Amino acid sequence: MYVIVIGGGKVGYYLSKHLIERGYEVTLIEKDPRRAEVLTSQLGEVVMVGDGDEMAFLATTGMERADVVVAVTGDDEDNLIACQMAKRKFDVPRTVARVNNPSNVRIFKTLGVDVALSATEVLLDLLERELAKEPAKRAPTSQPNPKR
Amino acid sequence: MRVIIVGCSRVGAMVAKVLVADGHQVTVVDINRSSFNRLGPDFPGEMVLGNGIDEDVLRKAGIEQAEGFASLTNGDNRNIMAAQIAREIFHVPRVITRIYDPIRENVYRELGLDTTSPTLTGVREIHRMLKG
Repeated sequence: MYVIVIGGGKVGYYLSKHLIERGYEVTLIEKDPRRAEVLTSQLGEVVMVGDGDEMAFLATTGMERADVVVAVTGDDEDNLIACQMAKRKFDVPRTVARVNNPSNVRIFKTLGVDVALSATEVLLDLLERELAKEPAKRAPTSQPNPKR
Repeated sequence: MRVIIVGCSRVGAMVAKVLVADGHQVTVVDINRSSFNRLGPDFPGEMVLGNGIDEDVLRKAGIEQAEGFASLTNGDNRNIMAAQIAREIFHVPRVITRIYDPIRENVYRELGLDTTSPTLTGVREIHRMLKG
């Protein structure tokens, strides 16, 4: 199973690290050469320096044989275009994108991304579920904060 | 015609001014307030401060009533995403997007976007001029 991860920030780094530990073949693409150097020292030779949206560069990553492309940069537009290029130009069967603006989850799906995930949306849902469990327990009190 | 322009770049601002002079109703969206200075002090159109790939910002700019849309920021991916939102989510009848990278331009033109690449037109023009 070959996974290409685009974006070597915290999400991309930990994702790649755990995928490697679980035995997947991984390539991590990072734009910034200095960041890539740090990533390489941690993860080894799986890191490639380049732009995840440049066709000529992507062709050198073996993308046409990737089973999954995961785009996790901090910019929604870059993640969307990376997934669309992977799908349409390299026939990658499954694309996954990190989404920063929760409204973009629906947009990404409409525009052909297989899985779009917003951490904000996940947290919102969890939070609402937790809060629904116990209705507002703490009315404002005049009791002193015990931590103080 | 009601037109939305995303990106008050040099090209964006000039297109906005030309359209307004033609009598169109123009709204310009940009993430930097200072970019609106390019429109000059007497610009009669609307200016909306915000991210052009945020559907709430685009709604505020009146995209639901727009007949024309052009994404002209300096980022190819931002332009492509904005254009796709305009076309596929809001069904704006006429959508134009600027893409500097000729390869990406080719990909999205094949996919049906109306694209323009200043890189390619520049190359053609310079080539023609040098040949004399």
